[in-house]
Amino acid sequence: MSILLFAGFVVLTVAAYLVTRRIFLKYKYPILNPVFLSTLLIIAALKAGGFTFADYTPAKEAMTFLLGPATVALALPLYNNKKVLRNHALPVLAGVCAGSLATIAAALVAGRMLGLAKGLLLSLGPKSVTVPIAVEISRIAGGEPTLTAAFVVATGMIGSILGPVTLSLVKVSNPIARGLALGTVSHGQGTAVALLEGETAGAMGGVAMAIAAVFTALIAPYYLPLFLS
Amino acid sequence: MTTRFLKIAWQILLLWLVFRCGAYLVGILHLALPGNVAGMLLMFALLLTGVVKPVQIEAGGGFLLKHFAFFFIPISVGLMVFGPLMRQSGLTLLAILTVSAVVGVVVTGVFVQVMHARSSR
Repeated sequence: MSILLFAGFVVLTVAAYLVTRRIFLKYKYPILNPVFLSTLLIIAALKAGGFTFADYTPAKEAMTFLLGPATVALALPLYNNKKVLRNHALPVLAGVCAGSLATIAAALVAGRMLGLAKGLLLSLGPKSVTVPIAVEISRIAGGEPTLTAAFVVATGMIGSILGPVTLSLVKVSNPIARGLALGTVSHGQGTAVALLEGETAGAMGGVAMAIAAVFTALIAPYYLPLFLS
Repeated sequence: MTTRFLKIAWQILLLWLVFRCGAYLVGILHLALPGNVAGMLLMFALLLTGVVKPVQIEAGGGFLLKHFAFFFIPISVGLMVFGPLMRQSGLTLLAILTVSAVVGVVVTGVFVQVMHARSSR
């Protein structure tokens, strides 16, 4: 029974992905983001069937097994864009660091204005970096790691839906700038959208994700408390 | 067809090995980095030094990158656990995350585009 269930969840997830990917590639509206639509479909299906996330977890573990090697594969577009990196090291580094500081500040200032509790604010702080590192930062800062993981995922979704539109609104057309912006704010999910825009943007998404993760981990212990006092 | 499948599988295995090396290095050196990002930097170094040639990982790497978004679907399904919190303060949190994402995207995008235009001149 559990093998059947496992297989069923995998088939459901792959099918949802393939269908929503086809829809997205056909119409290209940001709201048709495959991750967003598939997630809605799968959660609806699980709820309708009376299943919990715990039932789905074994399938999730199996399906995300290749996320590690996939992230390593980002070295490939990075290598193909090594000229860009060499010639523009300063704008790349400074841009990602400025963006990381800004996105954290915006979250914590807005959170305080809306009266969030301290634990919630600390859990929000590292939400723009990739899950494994965000969870660590949150734990060290005194946040709630599971909550941070949820914020990371939600930010990934919001940034990958609104990011491309926002960048176009403020007339950012340079693929280097677009990729870096998406990777800085929405880590792997932003990088996935950047990869759909093109190889350069995708490579820059991976670069931004790495720089933002290291930078945020380094500054969080000093930067987060500034917004709490 | 079969040879292409085997080639992709073999190359993914190589990428996985580098990923494990990255995770191992992070562990023993106590780095403030997730293992996958360390693996990516390690692979970048291997490509730059010519130890690994792009063609040796292009088929498998290209396949994984083409479907990079897929991996975030099962992870995002985890949001269903936070139903009660969402009902209680979902709109507030959505507003905060949206403001934060828009600010971050605009700052990074505009900053890089302006600086890039200057340094290219």
